[in-house]
Amino acid sequence: MTLKKEHYGYLFIAPFVIAFLIFGLYPIYNTFYLSFTNTTLMTKNADFVGLENYQRLFADNTFMTAVKNTWVLWILNFIPQIGIAMLVSVWFTSSRLKLKGVGTWRALYFLPNLLMPASIAALFFSFFSFYGPVNQFVVRAGIMPEAVHWLQNPTVTRAIVIFIQWWMWFGQTIIILMAGMTAISLSLYESAMVDGANAWQMFRRITLPLLKPILIYIFVTSLVGGMQMFDIPYLLTDGRGSPDQSILTNNMLMYLKFSSSRGHIGAASAVGVLVFIMTSVCALGIFYFLGDRRQRSAL
Amino acid sequence: MSYKLSTNLTRAAIYVFLTILLIVTIVPIWILLVNATRSTTEIQQGISLLPSTHTLENYQILEGKGLNMPRGFMNSLFISVTSTFLSVYVGFLAAYGLVAYKFKGRHFVSSAVVLIVLIPLQLSIIGFFQYMSRLGLTDTFASLILPAMASAGAVFFGIQYLESVVIQDLIDAGRVDGASEFGIFNRIILPLAVPGAVTLGIFGFVASWNNFFNPYILISSLEKYTLPMLVQTLRGDVYRTEYGAIYLGLAITIVPVIIIYALLSRYIINGIALGSVKE
Repeated sequence: MTLKKEHYGYLFIAPFVIAFLIFGLYPIYNTFYLSFTNTTLMTKNADFVGLENYQRLFADNTFMTAVKNTWVLWILNFIPQIGIAMLVSVWFTSSRLKLKGVGTWRALYFLPNLLMPASIAALFFSFFSFYGPVNQFVVRAGIMPEAVHWLQNPTVTRAIVIFIQWWMWFGQTIIILMAGMTAISLSLYESAMVDGANAWQMFRRITLPLLKPILIYIFVTSLVGGMQMFDIPYLLTDGRGSPDQSILTNNMLMYLKFSSSRGHIGAASAVGVLVFIMTSVCALGIFYFLGDRRQRSAL
Repeated sequence: MSYKLSTNLTRAAIYVFLTILLIVTIVPIWILLVNATRSTTEIQQGISLLPSTHTLENYQILEGKGLNMPRGFMNSLFISVTSTFLSVYVGFLAAYGLVAYKFKGRHFVSSAVVLIVLIPLQLSIIGFFQYMSRLGLTDTFASLILPAMASAGAVFFGIQYLESVVIQDLIDAGRVDGASEFGIFNRIILPLAVPGAVTLGIFGFVASWNNFFNPYILISSLEKYTLPMLVQTLRGDVYRTEYGAIYLGLAITIVPVIIIYALLSRYIINGIALGSVKE
């Protein structure tokens, strides 16, 4: 018995499909299931408790705080990230400016993206600790009369998280935007120039519309990553979002429920499920309603 | 002339801006690397951009306090290398199946891959943990390595890449020579796809090397700690005043990646440009 040639396709995709069912799909199902139970790390048997875990989450302000924080931390990092990346990408691809060393500049801007987030968080913790280099610098330069407990101020702490996120991601956004910009045909700009268009008009009428699919891609992938933000805020302060839960994110709350003395797996799963639904709906919604025809048909 | 002058002025202003951006990007990393070579006393005296000579002392302090960096390093290396090989091979296998064969349901699988790439899978970690714990696989490397086979990002990248590499004539020639279908993939397609596999492999390696969340939830015994977990330990009270040692510990986690980047930055940048490698 021989297999028809085209049926070999099934054999090739089988390892991935099976692995995804085991390690991807089943854990999602299991998380949903556990969120309706009172499972803990300690007990063997668990009862079905319906929506109790969810009711508790909504009764407690902490969940909404975490969701709000995660959105704020993500949006305030995303705006300068896309803004600066857009500006730099336009310069790097400009045939009028012909900047030198574009490859080197952007390779260096991208470097922070590859570094271990846990280490980066620990690094900025050291920088902003009471005896750290930032205090040394601001006191000696006379900017501040005395050392400051930076990481006890909610606004400063949030700003540091936002800065780190921006710092780690703007280089990658430059690379993606440049790939999109260089794919736009030069003849479009040439004919616009013949018609007397200025640089802003060309950006607004040619570059932006043609970049739309790429912008949506950047927006959605950044959103999905941002909603799962953990390492940086977790390791920058005490892991509980201090000060004042100002940097407590979705995944940190999920971890706190999981690692609490009772190891409340049911409650942690409920956090995971709610954030999973919120993020997926936003990501797929944006993709579906704003995406171009090709992106939409991919769904 | 005035047009040229204004272009030159704009260009100068842009270079200033780019330089400031570069300083902001590099200085934190540079201070980290420099402080790893300085003693705690030197660090407390002030900021320096020049390396010192206390690397070994700092390392001895790390060791003296019981932090086994070499073991963490080897654990991270083992997990990252094996999961990278698995994700690249299984990912390209599936991508080749989808690109080269016209079987029923392939459109559905391709669309599903795109969908999965967009889904926040990390949020199912609790369900994954409880499942692994039922199987007795928590606190094993297997629980960190095997899921690499389910990387939709790898399949997605593989499809993008193989679409430009796979040529029907090559496959047909292999069949005429009597090669099996898997023989064609292993001996004809994979060698052609090496640049793509390297690119994907670098991303897989870095993602696994830097991953803190999954091992932090799944691993509990100290001898199985990965590097990011040791970084978390470094944040603890034992090291509170050992600044030099802390910076050295952090440097050990990022230097390998900086070296890889210095050697292979072209692959990495082209890989991002080529499309949507998921972190």
